[in-house]
Amino acid sequence: MEIFNYGFMQRAFLVGILLATVIPCIGVVIVLKRLSMIGDALSHTSLAGVAAGLILGINPVASAAAACIIAAFGIEAIRRKLPRYSEMSIAIMMSAGIGLAGVLSGFVKNSANFNSFLFGSIVAISDMEMYLVIGVSAVVLLVFLLLYKELFYMALDERSARLAGVPVKQVNFIFTILTAAVISIAARTVGALIVSSMMVIPVACAMQFGKNYKQTVIYAISFDVVFMIAGLFFAYYFGLKPGGTIVLVGVLSLLLIFTGKKVLGGKG
Amino acid sequence: MKKNRKRASCFLAIAALSISVLLTGCAGKQKEDKGDKLNVMTSFYPVYDFTLKVGGDKVNVKNMVPSGTEPHEWEPGTRDIASLEESNVFIYSGAGMEHWTEDVLKSLGNKNLIVVEASTGITLKEGHEEEGEAHKEEDKEHDHGEFDPHVWLDPQNAKKEMENIKEGLVKADPVNKDYYEANYKTYAEKFDKLDQSFRDTLHPLQNKSIVVSHEAYGYLCAAYGLTQVGIEGLTPDSEPDPARMAEVIDFVKENKVKTIFFEELVSPKVAEAIAKETGAKIQVLSPVEGLSDQEVKDGEDYFSVMEKNLVAIKDALE
Repeated sequence: MEIFNYGFMQRAFLVGILLATVIPCIGVVIVLKRLSMIGDALSHTSLAGVAAGLILGINPVASAAAACIIAAFGIEAIRRKLPRYSEMSIAIMMSAGIGLAGVLSGFVKNSANFNSFLFGSIVAISDMEMYLVIGVSAVVLLVFLLLYKELFYMALDERSARLAGVPVKQVNFIFTILTAAVISIAARTVGALIVSSMMVIPVACAMQFGKNYKQTVIYAISFDVVFMIAGLFFAYYFGLKPGGTIVLVGVLSLLLIFTGKKVLGGKG
Repeated sequence: MKKNRKRASCFLAIAALSISVLLTGCAGKQKEDKGDKLNVMTSFYPVYDFTLKVGGDKVNVKNMVPSGTEPHEWEPGTRDIASLEESNVFIYSGAGMEHWTEDVLKSLGNKNLIVVEASTGITLKEGHEEEGEAHKEEDKEHDHGEFDPHVWLDPQNAKKEMENIKEGLVKADPVNKDYYEANYKTYAEKFDKLDQSFRDTLHPLQNKSIVVSHEAYGYLCAAYGLTQVGIEGLTPDSEPDPARMAEVIDFVKENKVKTIFFEELVSPKVAEAIAKETGAKIQVLSPVEGLSDQEVKDGEDYFSVMEKNLVAIKDALE
């Protein structure tokens, strides 16, 4: 097929499918913990990290990851202070991230660098980014499988997880770092725009079919991979911007699932 | 006890904030002594450079877009507008490059400000329609309108811009008319010479196609019979679509293009991806929209950057 003749498309498919596998693993837990917007908050703070890195002369990918990790722990800390309003912690962190990114970007001398982070693009991925995605994906998948049961308990209800003997604090710590790592690398490669939708929309679709946690995880991954592949194909053959296309494919599918379910449900 | 401490710390925070606001306010009010020179504000680099050259030591020129910043993205801050209020002349390139001018000028209270649109009188080229369309959805803010604003990349147009600037300065400061005229004359010759060396160097070359990261070089290409193939349309920095990338890659392979040009102020990511795929190398071709800090330090100007561009184009086409 013509689309696979190009190296940049091969890389886009590889990186896209890897991220589409890993992101829903994090996404399921996040949605169940009522933290759906965390992707947005962290990708915005990662921009603040990029700006800080460029100003201080540190590798911006590293400083973005650091900022993400700090922000993720910040969200956890605020969430514990305001347990009944966990979405507020995200709003606070997101505002802090946007504010910081805005102010710091004013001090960045070479705006070209900063913009390349703002407009991360799946069709222009460098070797370093590709290896980073492969590495991070492998680690996240491994940890997700190892802590599968613990994360499941915690996602449903932290208190009963604690009673069941899950070391909630430690697991939360590891999960927060994983979330931050995935979001910062995904924001860099595919753009801040689509990270959070890749995290939430497939999970929303999967929840329409999944009868239990395991099914939901598997469906969510399958949906995300399909969205990614379909989005890249549409973008290539219709000359569309890939980031937005991938998001829209997901949203449309979710709408179709809703209406389809309603029509079928009405008959039955 | 605890409550008191909380209240105290809250009070302290507010006090600290208000003091710092007061202090910065005072610092901002200290005006530097500007003497009786003409105060000129320019929008971005090329018009700034031309104004410096014509105005010489009779004017204080202040450029709005800082060095190292891509002007397509830029909008004036409150301090820029405040200094516009205190200026005698405001010079911008126009043709849709500085989308903010109309709104800003309307809001000014400075009724004596002489405004110069340097591109007045230049025959404008239409922007690439197909590309323009795609951009409008992506970034409404820096919509170029219907024309290609990068007029200064043709030395003859640049000369015209400098002439318009000279007229503006003469209008604001008729006493020094002869001085401005003399400066303009010196540089008008330099523009002609630059034009001639582009003509002499590029004319004999067989290959006429350059691949660029954004289609800023329409006037330059038109002047010397080149064609540009842009990875992106007129505005830099939007996400490229894969179909366009594939097209450019095919073009590069078919025509055995050796060099993909990119701009210093814009991320080279996409140019790199295409270069990697095709085995071409990447090379800077400056649209002279702004200089980097290093270039400013090295004393570069419009002429030196354009001469470098000429060398780069010659290397790519030979």
